Amino acid sequence: MAAPSEMPMELQVNVNGRVRTVRIEPRDGLFRVTVDGETRLIDAAAIDDTTFSLVGIDHGHRSEEVGLGEIGQSGELAVHLSGGVVVARVSSGPGRFGRGAGGTPQTAGRQQVVAPMPGKVVKVLVKEGDSVRVRQGLVVVEAMKMENELRSPKDGRVARVLVDEGTLVESGRPLVEVE
Amino acid sequence: MHAPLTKVLIANRGEIAVRIIRACREMGVKTVAVYSECDRTALHVRYADEAYAIGPNPPRDSYLRIDKLVDVARQSGADAVHPGYGFLAENADFARACRDAHVTFIGPSPEAIDLMGSKTAARAVAVAAGVPVVPGMREPIATEVADSDVAAMAAEVGFPILIKAVSGGGGKGMRTVTDPADLPGALRAARSEASSSFGDGSVYIERRIQKPRHIEIQLLGDHDGTVLPFVERECSIQRRHQKVVEESPSMVVTPAIRRQLASAAAAVAKRVGYTNAGTIEFLCDDTGAFFFLEMNTRLQVEHPITELVTLTDLVHWQIRIARGERLDLDPEALLTPQGHAIECRIYAEDPDRDFMPSPGRVSALRAPAGPGIRRDDGGAAAGVEVPIYYDPLIAKLAAWGADRPMSLARMTRALHEYDVRGISTTIPFFLWLLADADFQAGRFDTTFIDTALALRNGRPFLEVPEASEFSAAAAVALQVYTRTQTPASSVPAAPASLWQQRARVDGLR
Repeated sequence: MAAPSEMPMELQVNVNGRVRTVRIEPRDGLFRVTVDGETRLIDAAAIDDTTFSLVGIDHGHRSEEVGLGEIGQSGELAVHLSGGVVVARVSSGPGRFGRGAGGTPQTAGRQQVVAPMPGKVVKVLVKEGDSVRVRQGLVVVEAMKMENELRSPKDGRVARVLVDEGTLVESGRPLVEVE
Repeated sequence: MHAPLTKVLIANRGEIAVRIIRACREMGVKTVAVYSECDRTALHVRYADEAYAIGPNPPRDSYLRIDKLVDVARQSGADAVHPGYGFLAENADFARACRDAHVTFIGPSPEAIDLMGSKTAARAVAVAAGVPVVPGMREPIATEVADSDVAAMAAEVGFPILIKAVSGGGGKGMRTVTDPADLPGALRAARSEASSSFGDGSVYIERRIQKPRHIEIQLLGDHDGTVLPFVERECSIQRRHQKVVEESPSMVVTPAIRRQLASAAAAVAKRVGYTNAGTIEFLCDDTGAFFFLEMNTRLQVEHPITELVTLTDLVHWQIRIARGERLDLDPEALLTPQGHAIECRIYAEDPDRDFMPSPGRVSALRAPAGPGIRRDDGGAAAGVEVPIYYDPLIAKLAAWGADRPMSLARMTRALHEYDVRGISTTIPFFLWLLADADFQAGRFDTTFIDTALALRNGRPFLEVPEASEFSAAAAVALQVYTRTQTPASSVPAAPASLWQQRARVDGLR
């Protein structure tokens, strides 16, 4: 019988908006990793706490380096692969990260437009009750010497304007609600 | 009459401050850094011989304070000032304040900065030198001129037009107007950006050349009247009038056109008795005709690619000229490119969110190296915060190859090696661009990026193949596993890899 510390572990990981079931089983210094029923034998080495070198022993000995970067306090991880970056989060299981499904943006219902970076609101282009089209400019935020126009995520109506011209905003601060 | 020049105050920050300090060290010249509050731990401060705090983070309270900079020059005994690019680099008052304080300004005279800094006056100089200019207005439009009067002027120039800040640069205060109905909004935006970026809201109007390519000539002028032009740089890859990729030489410039551009550039510079480093920008249309656009009276961001293909060090020459040395470079060699070089400006911006700035803490960073790669950065490393107050330039990455396909291949390889986490960068955008068939074939003009971006309609720059999602899911799970298991069965830690050691060395440079 395996020692408790060698017990397999199973958890749900949301990758690019799709929930995947991942099972990790240590085996003779390697790992049997199963993702949604597909199993591979992987030689995994931690380069540091957030960087892993994976060699697919039964997968053509494919060598891949994967880097994990936390995205703010959101619980989401930017997973850096050789082909690019995907967004992931642990959605259930023994993880230390936030729970709940991440996912693709939705366009139904009321949508908040938030400040994507810290800066200063230099122009509010709409008022409550205005009809707006998708990608129509709502607010202009100045950061790093450039003016950035934030646009409507959908066709709809401006439900609320939450900032004034001149307001200093932090990243993530809601600016306008469109319904 | 020239001072020996033994100690240089660098009135700048970031990668350009580091680049200037490096040149000074190579020449045995002492260096003085200045810093705002958030830059206390920046590389340029740690790397300089002396460092002085000059105030709060907003540039107007620190890096733009002429009085404080002159005080630091006095206090430190610096006998010269290098302004870098941006900030006060093209500010004639600063050059004049240095002269009044008997400190050598490493750049042109205040008179040349004044003259060439006004885009309308610079156009008049070009005309007088017999160099063709883009059709447009001869006089600036003051801020109080009414929209209707501006509309009449625009109609006379002929749509499509470009509204440009008279004191502008870097794409700020610039708007294209194709439909006369869009003029009032574009005018308001251009004036407001011009006034907040340059303290001067006046603008002027130029005709928009169709399918233009941006070609520029670097030059150096000494105090004996010698002006030497260099091989052209092509900077047509621009996003909203901001250069993002530059290369040298250009694919469309023949040796004959190169000579014409070089002699036109030298004629403009000689006309104003230009000294030190400067760049003349031209627009070229698809017939090979070229038009003077403007002069930048400073070192350019993209100067490294010229250094790579002409085997020169422009900052060394800026210092040598400032201390009175004569240019003794071979003019023929400067017009004969050795291979090909390309530069990508790596910004802290998210290309998948309309290039929104992405300031914040870098959580991990591995920089590329290897054959043909030159990287200029201001010390971006794991744990370093990218401040919101300044240009979000993380690094300039340049690649050199024996020919264009080779330098592009090296750039692509280096971008794949570049691992920056914690913030978004423009690296995925560059990987997409370098793989684009039209870019590879040289089929582009200054509208290429804005058009391509509109056509992509928000599609992500790098689509990760579904096969890679296995590795992503596995790595996330392995990290959780490692953090929850006892050491005996956790993922074995690799001995510190060479790349990691290299990154540490880079971080401590």
